[in-house]
Amino acid sequence: MKRMEINITVNGRKHELYVSPDRTLLEVLREELNLTGTKKGCDDSNCGVCTVLFDGMAVKSCTMLIPQANGHSITTIEGLERENSLHPLQQSFIDHFAVQCGFCTPGMILTAKAILDENPDATEEDIREGLHGNVCRCVGYKKVVESIEAVRDGEYSESCGEV
Amino acid sequence: MRFEQYYEPKTTEECIRLLEEYGADCKILAGGTDLVPRLKNKIWRPQAVIGIGSLPDIDTIKVDQNGLELGACAKLRKISMDPSLAKDYKVIMEAAGNVSSMQIRNVATIGGNACNASPSADAIHGLIAMGAKAVIAGPEGVREVAVEDLFAGPGKTVLTRGELLLKFKVEAPKAGTGAVYKKFAIRGDTDISIVGVGCGITLKDDGTIEAVRISLSAVAPKPIRAAEAEKLLLGKKLTDELLDLAAETAENNCTPITDQRATAAYRKEMVRVWTRHAVKEAYERAKSV
Amino acid sequence: MEGRIGKGEKRIDAYDKVTGKGLFASDYVNQYPVLAHMKALRSPYAHAKIKKLDLSKARALEGVIYIMTGEEPGIDWDQYPKASIIAKDEALWAGQMIALVCAETLEIADKAIELIDVEYEKLPAVLDYYAAIEPNPASVVDPEYETRPLGFSDRPGDRASNRVSPNVVGAFKLHAGDVPAAMEKAEVIVEGEFWTGKKTASPLECANAICRYDSDGGITLVSNGAGVHGVIKQGICRILKMKESHVRVIQPYMGGSFGSRLNPYVEIITALMCLRTKRTVSFQFNREEMFVGAPSNWPCITKVKLGAMKDGTLIANDYYLAEEIGACLNNTFFSGRLSSSGVLPVYRMPNLRMDTCAVATNTVPAAEYRGLGCPESEFGIECLVNQLADELGMSPVELRLKNIIDKGERDPHGEVITSIGLKKCLQSVADAIQVDETPEQDMGVWKKGRGCAVGGKQNTPLGRSEAEVWYNSDGSIQLFVSCDENGMGATTALAQIAAHEFGVPVSEVKVTKGDTAITPYDNYSASSRTTYNTGNAVKLACEDAINKLKIEVARVYGIHPSKVEIKGKKAILAGSYVQEVEIPPLFQPTSMFTQGNWGLQKGTPVIGHGLFCPAPIHQWDENGLSDRVWNWFQYSAAAVEVAVNEETGQVKVLKVASSADTGNPINPKLVEVQIEGGVHMAIGFSVNEEHVFNEDGKIANANFSDYRLPTILDMPTCENVHAFINPDPLPDGPYGAKGMAESITIPVGPAIAHAIYKAVGVRVNGYPMTAERILALIKEKKAKEAAE
Repeated sequence: MKRMEINITVNGRKHELYVSPDRTLLEVLREELNLTGTKKGCDDSNCGVCTVLFDGMAVKSCTMLIPQANGHSITTIEGLERENSLHPLQQSFIDHFAVQCGFCTPGMILTAKAILDENPDATEEDIREGLHGNVCRCVGYKKVVESIEAVRDGEYSESCGEV
Repeated sequence: MRFEQYYEPKTTEECIRLLEEYGADCKILAGGTDLVPRLKNKIWRPQAVIGIGSLPDIDTIKVDQNGLELGACAKLRKISMDPSLAKDYKVIMEAAGNVSSMQIRNVATIGGNACNASPSADAIHGLIAMGAKAVIAGPEGVREVAVEDLFAGPGKTVLTRGELLLKFKVEAPKAGTGAVYKKFAIRGDTDISIVGVGCGITLKDDGTIEAVRISLSAVAPKPIRAAEAEKLLLGKKLTDELLDLAAETAENNCTPITDQRATAAYRKEMVRVWTRHAVKEAYERAKSV
Repeated sequence: MEGRIGKGEKRIDAYDKVTGKGLFASDYVNQYPVLAHMKALRSPYAHAKIKKLDLSKARALEGVIYIMTGEEPGIDWDQYPKASIIAKDEALWAGQMIALVCAETLEIADKAIELIDVEYEKLPAVLDYYAAIEPNPASVVDPEYETRPLGFSDRPGDRASNRVSPNVVGAFKLHAGDVPAAMEKAEVIVEGEFWTGKKTASPLECANAICRYDSDGGITLVSNGAGVHGVIKQGICRILKMKESHVRVIQPYMGGSFGSRLNPYVEIITALMCLRTKRTVSFQFNREEMFVGAPSNWPCITKVKLGAMKDGTLIANDYYLAEEIGACLNNTFFSGRLSSSGVLPVYRMPNLRMDTCAVATNTVPAAEYRGLGCPESEFGIECLVNQLADELGMSPVELRLKNIIDKGERDPHGEVITSIGLKKCLQSVADAIQVDETPEQDMGVWKKGRGCAVGGKQNTPLGRSEAEVWYNSDGSIQLFVSCDENGMGATTALAQIAAHEFGVPVSEVKVTKGDTAITPYDNYSASSRTTYNTGNAVKLACEDAINKLKIEVARVYGIHPSKVEIKGKKAILAGSYVQEVEIPPLFQPTSMFTQGNWGLQKGTPVIGHGLFCPAPIHQWDENGLSDRVWNWFQYSAAAVEVAVNEETGQVKVLKVASSADTGNPINPKLVEVQIEGGVHMAIGFSVNEEHVFNEDGKIANANFSDYRLPTILDMPTCENVHAFINPDPLPDGPYGAKGMAESITIPVGPAIAHAIYKAVGVRVNGYPMTAERILALIKEKKAKEAAE
């Protein structure tokens, strides 16, 4: 199949890729850019482990074809850490024990970021509404919500970068 | 390889040309949330995929005194959160907001929800409840079809070779109109509906029902109207007895199937339960405006 | 430096996981530039004769490397994990492999699958226990049932005295006391039949393995399977007749298991393909395959009769259990004993009769799932205990407190209970939910009710765990273990043990794990045993290293080793000319003119080795009794408040409290999150999760859209989720600790069932308690009331 030129910005870095347009965003992130922090779980957009930020919005990268991302900006979990510190949500997930097997964690953190970016005062109800597309099998969600609420409440504003 | 050719036309004409050329051998890519899993599972093996995201005005949401226009590629989440829809088109917002998760709604489109023609689609019932029309462009020009008449069967629309759904048009509702969509699914929006009931009601000044539309999701090969139940309600004031009767009629007039999500019997019973809720709430809303 | 035990230390793997830097097994696909890919053709029918299987077109496709079928020469399929057996003449479940393709790319493999010309003749199938247990069932699952011996049939107690159906493939009987006489004496009898659904553990990372063909003819396998030594390496060496020296198994991060990855259904077959093709091959399951091609749990059907006195004292249990095990041929694993072990450790029960069996069906073969059948086996008992409380007008809490076995007593099996904190567990959850109070009905059609239950789970003695620890010449600590890290936090807890023993912060301990070429033997992490088994081994290894270090330090200062105490990088000396000394400088440098030839050397760690193995079982007698089969018992109690929608039958858990008797927790925060996660998993399978079959007997909801895993909306809000730890120290556990991960899931279901009864007055006799089932019961009740 004829490859097409795709221009995407991933984690702030511009990429000019020549890829087959039948590939998904997830496949390109993992296979072309080696960004394996974005996971594949169900491959039909139900579990949320493939969540990335697409122009700041949370999307499931397993059901987007790569041409849909052409000209857009993507943030993956690898794009959150700053030189000297983790992103507040990353630190908060560690501190609140919201991580077990860790397979859902990147998607959870990125969805959480989208929720707080859109609504810095998100209530527990808002967080639940935003997160029900992210399945976790280990943690049971409570510690995930607590991690997000701690960031919302500014507990990490001093120590780390922007939300 | 999931398909051979990818196109991203920049004009409607070009798009129609491609659709005509490939006919059944192509699929349209809007949000992709339904298309991509089917491509991956090889349920669909089109020769070409035509991305329509670059067509002019394809994702607009426009409200004025005459009504609402929703571009086929308007994202469900944008629709569900657009404050300009809150006054007159709340049901459209709500039904769009009932589709799956935030991540999906950020990508999925209203036109995709319609053209995918899933019997259990949610978002289109907001349109049906408001009597919306689909605007279709094709080789023969532009035509309009009532949204409820857009469907021919599971996965099938009335669109013919070369035709493209451009947008939806909704007339500004008359005073005394209220509408609601009730999605019923076990895990909420995440799930595909077991049943969905949309209802739009317009009341006369004296409180009698001047117009009513009840649409049902997931109980037939395509979205259907509960015509008998509507007939019962028309011209009457809503009482509890009438409500029960209408709900029962809706239940009796549908023949859903058993599948992995629910049995036919349960679906029928849920039609009654949710028709009751939908009609009642639409009526309350109509009264309050 | 205070101790590290009982502290909520941060997970040692959290940074890797929140940054996406840590590689999971499925990320290794990217690590191999040249990789051959495997793909399976699977049966669409639960039972079918393979009339034609023509591979010629597929084999001719360019890029196809190898195609394996049931006829593959030199294979004894009976040795293979059941789910990886390729069908020979008959497909025995929908999802069984018919052919396995290896090709240069996944795309070519896909295409080859399509080019395989296969014709089936659909045969009748039995899809559940009830169909399978018929004397003349529509399908006899095992084609060789007449000649195959029953599983475990040479052991006393393991007999199907009455093999009611050819699909009964294993059996076990136990009789303690005199049940018929006790039932005569009983003042109250409650009885019922209970069922449970078939579920899939659904770890988020699909099963996968990559097997590298090494230049020396050996293989290196990377997978998210559990038990690198005891399960995978041993399995490969035994089944594929490989030399132990030439098999290396590595477990990177794994995206969950919940017991389900203890079965090497991907690993062995991938290694086989690697050997056949002499290529580095990858087998990545997709989500559908995780349902149809990977083992499910085994549902249990129980018939329970409890006899009690009017004061609530339980005196007898007459208990039947059947494990529905799917298409498990050559069964040597299932007899009912594993599941029914849950009947033993909770209540004082002077008279117990158990009659259990395993029943094969034309469904995916069953294997381990968190709880080993105990959530299933104890459901009926807990439901009946609640019913008994209702009938006696007693609080279900009070009734249980009266009957829960005490430490030091013997269970009906004959074993001494060495640690049980269950009463405190129950009280804590009952208080949190106020389970004896009736909630206010303020939710319209949603009716509220509260319920509670308890559960116990044995720990099976599963062989040895070893650990190696290095005290490096700079004072840093390295720990080498081969336990699994499914996500539960075992490696963090083990690092804490090492940190505690050496008196250093956890950050000073580097853990290397799960590589059979590097890390010492551990059988596998199952039965909630890691903290106990591997934990004891780590403690022993540390003690060994410390003793050696003491000897070395003592030599330098000319004192007896007993006069040396190690505190991190310092040694405290008694009776020497110095009181305290830095240890790292004692390691001799290795530069050319200053090197020493004995004693502590720079760059050479002091190495400790630990080996722990629980005592093996004592063979049970004719009555199935033994004073030593299970090792120790973990316990949990749960209380819930639910709301039931009278119109739709939906069940919503509004509040939940769960408590674990973990022994002394090494890390209470890790225990807390294990409790919450266990509760959420149990809510999922108690309320929604189950396989639904289509007309061909294939799982119709083999995806995450229709197989309803619990989302965040299925969990109560944060303030309504309570987790308590009520330890009763385990005498032989490290620092009194024991495991807990499985017991959590046991009482949640029956607690929900009782809460449903309290809410809408219907008794549920199985799970998942789906909306449809609850609504049917509500309607039945209403119809009955109307008729009266």
